[in-house]
Amino acid sequence: METLHPRIRLVWIARAVLGAAVLGFVLLAVDSWLRSLPMAGLLAVVSIAVVLGVVHAIVLYGRWAFDLEADSLYLERGVITFVETAVPYVRVQHVDTQFGPIERALGLSSVVVYTAGSRNADVRIPGLTPDRARELQDTLRELAVESEAADAV
Amino acid sequence: MNTNRLHPLSAVTTALQRGFVGGSMLFFLVSISSGFVAAVDISWAFVLSALGFLVGAAYGVAYYYRFEYELTDDTFDIASGVLSRRDREIPLGRVQNVDIRQGVVSRILGIAVVTIETAGGGASEATLDFVDDGEADRLQREIRRLTMSSDRAARRRREERRTAGERSSDESAGDRLGEASTDGEHPDIDGASARHSSEMAADTDATGAGTATESAGSPGRPKQLFELEMRELLLYSFASFRPAAVAALGFLTLFGTDFIVDYLLAVTDSVTQQAPSDVAGSSRGVLLGTISVLHAVVVTYALSIAYTFASYYGFRLGRAGNDLVYERGLLQRYSGSIPLGKVQSVTITDNPIQRLLGYAGLVVETAGYGPDSDSGSQSAVPFAKRPRAHGFAERLTSVEPPTFNRPTRVARRRYLVRYSLVATVVVGALYGLALVTPFDAWYIGLVTYLAVPPAAHLRWANLGYAVGDEHLIVREGFWSRKTTVIPYYRIQTISTRRSIFQRRLELASVVVDTASSRTFAWSNPTIYDVDLPIARDVTDTGRDRLQASLARDDASLSSDFL
Repeated sequence: METLHPRIRLVWIARAVLGAAVLGFVLLAVDSWLRSLPMAGLLAVVSIAVVLGVVHAIVLYGRWAFDLEADSLYLERGVITFVETAVPYVRVQHVDTQFGPIERALGLSSVVVYTAGSRNADVRIPGLTPDRARELQDTLRELAVESEAADAV
Repeated sequence: MNTNRLHPLSAVTTALQRGFVGGSMLFFLVSISSGFVAAVDISWAFVLSALGFLVGAAYGVAYYYRFEYELTDDTFDIASGVLSRRDREIPLGRVQNVDIRQGVVSRILGIAVVTIETAGGGASEATLDFVDDGEADRLQREIRRLTMSSDRAARRRREERRTAGERSSDESAGDRLGEASTDGEHPDIDGASARHSSEMAADTDATGAGTATESAGSPGRPKQLFELEMRELLLYSFASFRPAAVAALGFLTLFGTDFIVDYLLAVTDSVTQQAPSDVAGSSRGVLLGTISVLHAVVVTYALSIAYTFASYYGFRLGRAGNDLVYERGLLQRYSGSIPLGKVQSVTITDNPIQRLLGYAGLVVETAGYGPDSDSGSQSAVPFAKRPRAHGFAERLTSVEPPTFNRPTRVARRRYLVRYSLVATVVVGALYGLALVTPFDAWYIGLVTYLAVPPAAHLRWANLGYAVGDEHLIVREGFWSRKTTVIPYYRIQTISTRRSIFQRRLELASVVVDTASSRTFAWSNPTIYDVDLPIARDVTDTGRDRLQASLARDDASLSSDFL
């Protein structure tokens, strides 16, 4: 089983902080236009959101793992709901590498594996170094071609 | 083969459509800008909008002349676009279904809209809006015929490649292949000769159209498999409910709000006059509420009946070659073809009333989008006696009648807790309502607790799964129960999910994803709340059997269907 790069925690924490900041601004907007809120409560909500985000990020990092098995890409992740997914190589339609602004700043990138399945079917492996991401993309592509299905969709 | 144009009437409608768009666009633009810019006068609006109409209409006509389609031996090509051109080629092997749609007016004019679906994209890949109905039928038939022959050619190529590559004398694969091409007219033929005949058919296909193909596939004349009789249609209309009816009700209330409010008030008044005079003001409100809800329920049900009746009027299912073909509809006529080889999963649906009457429906799913453009699921048998619906499912997938496993009893306890929470929320909401409004009978909400144990039991009792040799069968739901048959070779991904609560109880759910374009109403088939070791076992079995069937090359559903 391969784990993610430890820096991914920073990406998730950054996202949580951003989310908490947005929440704070929304609450501030409510405070100034709709009805006044106690400043202490507002701070408490925002800091709880940040703490939850940090805990979530750390636990999620501990849970995330993936593996290239004989016939499938296997992943496990999730804090509240723990999900183990097997994506047979035969079902891989195409593979992308992607990175968002935060990931890019921290020198990480993601591999996204698409299948023909229904919604939520594409599988994303975040927190890879750009080299590892490219390597994984190539490997997956080769495995997909090797195991090419007789009948695609 | 030469290229084709759409029906000339299409030029007229496109021109009118674009003309109106162009005209109204300029009209609004001028009227808005006249408010800001002094140099623009409002009277220009009329002149300019006429101009806009002309430009739009010209564009529409040009669009008609620049829209060409062509059906070649292995692709369907469309060249379209006035200013920016788009050439699209759709490989026929990728076509999921071909649908024909005809409204009332188009039926009078003898025209139809043809849509061709593939698995990709978020919408139909090709829409011919519109062609005359003879051409629509021809396209559907031709695509069916060509797909069938290209399938056979591909199959034969694969077979050659494999035997050359592996030198494996895989008898079972050969038999399967034979079975897959066996036609309905020789259902009792044995494996070996079936294989032989299919090879012959493939050969004639490769060399050109032969009479053997005609007799084997007979793509032209569908063989009828099922017809919805009037009695069954009526029963079906009354025994099913369409959520779309709720939307229709909302639409009606939006437009006739004044009339409806007046009517409901009048009814309430007439009831209060007959009732004893001590009916106070607050209970008049309750009465009005009750009457409104009653009316809403009755009207929604009536709309649902009408909708079901109109959509499934004259439903017929047939088989042509390797395709299922269906037609239905009273006002808007739908007809379509579903290649058997593209069917992803088969689902038997029923609701409590239908179960009571002993009826069920059968839905097949492809990866394309259906004619109602919501998902790829298409009713193959909307309503039939249960054994008949089951029989169809069995022949369609060669699934063995399953014996269902239940989730653990612990799961039932989970649902009990879950529904108790829901009931608590209901009571809480009513209590909140009682605090802010004169309504004070919040305690009637406690009645919902009575419904919790039966609800939890029914949810649990209707869950089930069966791990067959070739298929995974998943059953779920009480109000709208779905029993989905998923061939292992259709699995896209398979996941085990465990929520925080499930982990505490050592339970897991298995989610099986297939390549169908489901919507929110149809979630992925899920085996809920089984013991973790069982969930792992099901997952592993699914993965192994997928690989095994790929090695055997089970490319399509068994076509020895009737």
